[in-house]
Amino acid sequence: MNHQQLMALLPFMVLATASIVIILLIAFRQGHTVIQVTGFLMMCLVIFTMWYVRDVLPQTIMPLLIVDGYGALFTGLIIFCVLVVGLFSYIYFEEREENPREYYILIFLSTLGAAILTISRHFISFFIGLELLSVSLYALIAYLRTRNNAVEAGVKYLLLAALTSAFLLFGMALIYMDAGSMDFSAIAQKLHTAEQSSPLFLLGFSLMMIAVGFKLALVPFHLWAADVYQGAPPPVASFIATVSKIGVFAVLLRFAQELHLQNNHSIMTIISVIAMFSMISGNILALRQQNIKRLLAYSSIAHFGYLLVAFLPGNSAGVEAAAFYLIAYAVTILIAFGVIILLSAKDKDAERLSLYRGLFWEKPFVAIVLAVALLSLAGIPLTAGFIGKFYVLMAGVQQQAWLPVIVLVVTSVIGLYYYLRIISTLFADVSVAIQKEKRLHPFFYAASYAALVVLVLLLLGFGVMPAIIIPGIKQFLLIGN
Amino acid sequence: MNISQILFGILTVLALVSALGVVVSKNPVYSVLCLIVTFFAISGHYILLNAQFLAIVNIIVYAGAIMVLFLFVIMLMNLNAEVEPQKSKILKFAGFIAGLCLFLVIVAALKNADEKTQTQATQLAGGDIGLIKNLGRALFNDYVLPFEISSVLFLSAMVGAVVIGKKE
Repeated sequence: MNHQQLMALLPFMVLATASIVIILLIAFRQGHTVIQVTGFLMMCLVIFTMWYVRDVLPQTIMPLLIVDGYGALFTGLIIFCVLVVGLFSYIYFEEREENPREYYILIFLSTLGAAILTISRHFISFFIGLELLSVSLYALIAYLRTRNNAVEAGVKYLLLAALTSAFLLFGMALIYMDAGSMDFSAIAQKLHTAEQSSPLFLLGFSLMMIAVGFKLALVPFHLWAADVYQGAPPPVASFIATVSKIGVFAVLLRFAQELHLQNNHSIMTIISVIAMFSMISGNILALRQQNIKRLLAYSSIAHFGYLLVAFLPGNSAGVEAAAFYLIAYAVTILIAFGVIILLSAKDKDAERLSLYRGLFWEKPFVAIVLAVALLSLAGIPLTAGFIGKFYVLMAGVQQQAWLPVIVLVVTSVIGLYYYLRIISTLFADVSVAIQKEKRLHPFFYAASYAALVVLVLLLLGFGVMPAIIIPGIKQFLLIGN
Repeated sequence: MNISQILFGILTVLALVSALGVVVSKNPVYSVLCLIVTFFAISGHYILLNAQFLAIVNIIVYAGAIMVLFLFVIMLMNLNAEVEPQKSKILKFAGFIAGLCLFLVIVAALKNADEKTQTQATQLAGGDIGLIKNLGRALFNDYVLPFEISSVLFLSAMVGAVVIGKKE
């Protein structure tokens, strides 16, 4: 490994160091605030090193990793999400007064797993990254184990994730048997020379899709999503909804790009069927939901269904659409969970929809922020969600994937119903005040509110002027292509 | 038919029969014993593939450590045939059908695999990659990065276990 390759890996090393630093701080009995601030600074340092090493990209570290613009874009997005999740975690855990310090170790280790996924070009790094991501998540989901659902959710996730990992390994083994290599580009070459796709490869990829579909909560592998979102602490749920899904989607997209899967008719059929089922079931299951965490879980199932439509074309327009959509989705879902965290009482999360009744008259700022986030999830113009959906539709139409596109439009309309239902609840006139005493230092509330404002501004900014970010995405994706 | 093919046949039959025994047997202790036999049969396969290190590690870790854990859990929970929870008939039937479907698909996919691997040569470069010397060389040259990342993986598992298991 030469100097430049080490340089390219610097952000990931800093990320790995962050968790060690936190362990040392705990060993020296530092308080929650010190750990939180150090973690925040370490994440800023990761972003700084990413900027610092931008000139040496792209670097291929044979045989496992490739640090290119694509990886940098998704790693950056992941780190951004962790920054925000960390900020929200502080007030959530500080209020509960349960020892929250090990939480940050696990968060950073899990982030490292997701970041490795975005730069992997080999089955081994794919698998290790995925395991690193999920092993930390098992403990994170069950972190507040004294609460009713936490351990149940953790065990559910553990069992299903372990089962799907077995499927992933078996799928990889079958592809290895077929192609004789675990390197994405070597597999691509092998597929290129073979005149027709072999049933072995097809079976292997389908088995791998089980694991990937589980992580992305795609139908029919979505059964865990609602329970885990409900049982996990809201910061962890937002972590699962953003970081874990971005990482897994990034590696799936890279795999598909390298192998030119869009030329393989049967695989595209499988993916479009999964996409359509996810869009339909996700939206329909959310319709009657009274628990906002479960509702967000179902809505994220539907959103990853939409995202798979952008996955279908397999050209650069599709990748751009997917990247933009993921950014918009991550910002939006972070806002929604941020509001839930802000409103959560000491021993009960604000998850019943009835709690939000007339929130606008009680706390206008929070209600408006939540309303904007929901409008963006629904894909209303002037928000980033609309532009994202528009790009995804455009990518689908260019590929003339008519059936998924029609399903996307129809289910978006169905989805509008339940997003608007929450918004109308927010503005209903009967007010049930959310009792919440402020005990923490106001600075941390101010920081959280400031984070929410920044996120909302980003959301509206991307929605009104997508031109401020699209060229950036394109530029990033060009590095290394 | 040479000797290694005969050995392969014996080990395969042994592994399959004992694996079935794990699932079928009513008594959890018999299941565990069958599982140990399965692990030994699979270790035999590794030795046939000239992967001695893997075979030894498989026996030490699985047949040694993990089996002891299994036995402890069975002992502590006092499991036996009477207290085994009974699943409904429909669930069993559905599971059976689903398993058969997967089996069918895998058989169909593997049907032509043999001739394919003969022609496409999915074969290891040399027969001695599984020897501990070569394994160590590969692990600390080409695969040093994933090796380090796996150590981080164990760190996260350890922290997770401590967090979940510690006292209030």
